[in-house]
Amino acid sequence: MKESSVLPPRIEPAYSFPLNCSTNLAKGKFPPVCNRRGKMHVCNPCYLVSEDHASPVLLWDAYVFNSKGTPIKDVVIPDSAQKSLLLQKHCDYIASYGSKKDDYEYCITEYLRMSGMYWGLTVMDLMGQLNRMDKDQVLQFIQQCQHECGGISASIGHDPHLLYTLSAIQILTLYDAVDMVNVEKVVEYVRSLQQDDGSFYGDKWGEVDTRFSFCAVACLSLLGRLDAIDVDTTVEFVVTCMNFDGGFGCRPGSESHAGQIYCCVGTLAITGNLHHINADLLGWWLCERQLPSGGLNGRPEKMPDVCYSWWVLASLKIIGKIHWIDKEKLEKFILACQDEETGGVSDRPGNIVDPFHTLFGVCGLSLLGNETIKPVNPVYCMPEDVIQRAGIRLELL
Amino acid sequence: MVWFEHYFGLCIVQHGRIKVKTTAEQQEAKRKEREKKLKIYNAGTEAVFQKRKNKEFDEEGLKLSGELLGVNPDIYSFWNFRREIFIDLQDKREEAELQKLLQDELHFLEACLKVNPKSYGAWHHRCFVMDAIPEPDWGRELHLCNTFLNLDERNFHCWDYRRHVVLRSNVNLDEELQYTTQKIQSNFSNYSSWHYRSKLLPVIHPDSSHPVAVQEDVLLKEFEVVQNAVFTDPDDQSAWFYQRWLLGRGQKKLQICCVHVSRDLQRIVVLLSRPVMMGQGHCLTVSIDTTPVAGKWRTITGSRMYSTLWVIDLPDQSLPVDKQASIAVTLMDDRYCTKFSEGLQLMPDQEETWAVAEFKQGSRFSTELSAAATSTMAQELESIRELQSLEPNNKWVLLTMIHLMKAIDPEHTKYAAELEESFNKLAAVDTMRKSYYWDLRSKFLIESVLESHDSKVRDVKLCQRGLSCLYHTDWMVLVTSIDLSQNYLKSVRSLSDLQCLRSLNLDNNQLADLQGLAFCRRLTDLSVKNNSICNVEVFEELRTCVFLKKLSVAGNPVCAIEDNVTKICALNKSLQVVDEQDSIG
Ligand SMILES: [Zn+2]
Repeated sequence: MKESSVLPPRIEPAYSFPLNCSTNLAKGKFPPVCNRRGKMHVCNPCYLVSEDHASPVLLWDAYVFNSKGTPIKDVVIPDSAQKSLLLQKHCDYIASYGSKKDDYEYCITEYLRMSGMYWGLTVMDLMGQLNRMDKDQVLQFIQQCQHECGGISASIGHDPHLLYTLSAIQILTLYDAVDMVNVEKVVEYVRSLQQDDGSFYGDKWGEVDTRFSFCAVACLSLLGRLDAIDVDTTVEFVVTCMNFDGGFGCRPGSESHAGQIYCCVGTLAITGNLHHINADLLGWWLCERQLPSGGLNGRPEKMPDVCYSWWVLASLKIIGKIHWIDKEKLEKFILACQDEETGGVSDRPGNIVDPFHTLFGVCGLSLLGNETIKPVNPVYCMPEDVIQRAGIRLELL
Repeated sequence: MVWFEHYFGLCIVQHGRIKVKTTAEQQEAKRKEREKKLKIYNAGTEAVFQKRKNKEFDEEGLKLSGELLGVNPDIYSFWNFRREIFIDLQDKREEAELQKLLQDELHFLEACLKVNPKSYGAWHHRCFVMDAIPEPDWGRELHLCNTFLNLDERNFHCWDYRRHVVLRSNVNLDEELQYTTQKIQSNFSNYSSWHYRSKLLPVIHPDSSHPVAVQEDVLLKEFEVVQNAVFTDPDDQSAWFYQRWLLGRGQKKLQICCVHVSRDLQRIVVLLSRPVMMGQGHCLTVSIDTTPVAGKWRTITGSRMYSTLWVIDLPDQSLPVDKQASIAVTLMDDRYCTKFSEGLQLMPDQEETWAVAEFKQGSRFSTELSAAATSTMAQELESIRELQSLEPNNKWVLLTMIHLMKAIDPEHTKYAAELEESFNKLAAVDTMRKSYYWDLRSKFLIESVLESHDSKVRDVKLCQRGLSCLYHTDWMVLVTSIDLSQNYLKSVRSLSDLQCLRSLNLDNNQLADLQGLAFCRRLTDLSVKNNSICNVEVFEELRTCVFLKKLSVAGNPVCAIEDNVTKICALNKSLQVVDEQDSIG
């Protein structure tokens, strides 16, 4: 095994390729790594030179080549990866995350604070430790973020937007406290953003996206006020965003994307219109998102990521095809994304953790049947018991 | 919560940040540096908010907010502030000055997008600027898209912006198709380009009568393009997904497929070719001896989902025992009205009567792949076989072969053995998706059996066929007896569709519950031997099956407790529960 001289010395990972791919070396550019059953597997671990240019670090992102030399983007999970769920560590990580109010990263993410709080609070509830969070402070903050128009902003001083209005309503539902804000005005705000073609603006500045259709429908259904909008045209618009592969994009004409699919499938589930979906075709596309590492990507030829794993997995659950992916392998991938030192989950093994991926990692494990986590509702990404309490009964395929 | 490729720059919620081990010294240095950065950041933010509060809509506002957006384009409120500034200046400045300002804004956006090409906020702001600028140069925008797509040919934000530009400036769509051809030629593995083609073709070469809405001769040329791609790299999924689309799937015409009238249950069941919701653009009406019947249509399970099966419970004495009745069912939608089964006769001595629509042999389920003519598909199969001889273990090749064989031969008479072999191989080479392949196989098998039946067959045998799930149970609405034993079924929920079912054999499956059977109210004989039923409560599901006479439960964990059998017996008075393996022949 010859090492290319331009690369710094490699930290030896425990290579275990589930792939069975023959290869003709892609123009000798990449070093061969191992040879099993007479077939050559080639991968190119990426190196990253750290800021001081002294200590190179191995990225687990590997390029595996198929028989024609096309790289398959994926990661390699080392044998040493974490295999059990570090629930208590994740709870401690989330609990301490919001307490460092003058922390650099905390401050510069103020523009998405409301969603950040939703991620943290939801994952704490799923792990059974919501009581560790400062409920009064949260509720007071949300109150302060509601604007004259009824919409809710990411933080004080920022502008109202459907994204944060949904996050706020999700938090309030979690605490069974929607009356803390002016519900009538929230409903009016959401209603005011619907367009003649059924689509929704994200805010008054007119960006249209199926994400906002989901925000509107999810938010109003949590408030029991779906009647406030034109549901038929909402559905019609979402259906016009359907593509040749059975998936959905941001707008009519946009490429399919797992996150966007989740939003559209969710919208159709909430409004009782799942029959528009070709479950066999979409399910096939979705289960093809699973890579040899077990992780799922969001589009063909993209890297796997814990959060994409959630969008794909939840969509599969809603259309009744969750058994089409290899559950064990996905579980292994998510568990490998945990940080044993700090707690929390990252997008890929070895990366820095954050509350966003911690939520979606834990939600993914819940959908996969992990019984130490509360069951999660695949449409709302909230604990099932909270959705039941809110009186919502959805029929899935 | 709905954030995808959204976290870049300074943002904490970021994709692909590698954890780097650092020394305490390095950490301290970093902390100090961050402290400094944060001070600047906070001061800048404060200044922008202050200006906005004071309604100071000027160049300084652009400068201050620009400094922060340049590093972090996701601070959405600052983009809003910039728009407020431009709107304010619109009335206050000369057109030439405004043109200059907005041009500068476009340059600023380019700089932002170079750092963060996936910022929703920046791309949307560009749309705003192009609408606000007095003299927009759309040609330059198209060029910008080319540049960005050269850097990343999968950037869906840029593709979306490109479609926006094309729409606004009436770019010739043929040129756009040409562009995708170029992109695909330089790299077949370009899903975004294939996607764009699927959107362009139906607009450039429309054929509304065609299932994929594209002219046949154009489709034939597309087959060549795809073939080129798959022969070059048979592992590249993009071309295969596109090929599946070319093979097409049509929307079924809405019609009534079957009507069943039951005298003793006093009800009518209707099967439609597509799921609908009664009262939402569609309605069914029934008349008996030309008198309209009042009543509410419902789904079998009471589900509020769209359904192909609809039931109406007739008012008492609608179908008296000693009288002949003439029944007519009509389906109406917003556009047209189809009368069906007019004069369906229920004779005095009859318990039930039914009518089934005529279908061309092999056409009931072929809509999945119906775009291409049979000759085209035969040709395709020929060349795919060629590819298979070169790539015997390629899953995409195997799956495509399976689909083509099924489309050419819906009843599985010609390729049955080859199909079976291909499915086995497929599940072996792509084990991660084996459940998908088994379900697909089950679907094809059930379709072939249903296609080969004519409507008079009410006894279906699907035992020992390796079924992992059930499909098309709505088409079995008339079936009175079905043998599903020795399969791999985990759920029988959809058997609720079998409204005439009397005898059901589910022996040797993997069932842990019987959910769905509550709606098979005619059921008299049920066998669930050798399944995985553990709880006696599972049989509560059968309480509504009042005609149930014989129930075989042997070989389930639930039988381990003797008392359980007695409990199950208590479901109804005439029920005989058998828990011995050999008591039924
Ligand atoms: Zn992610």
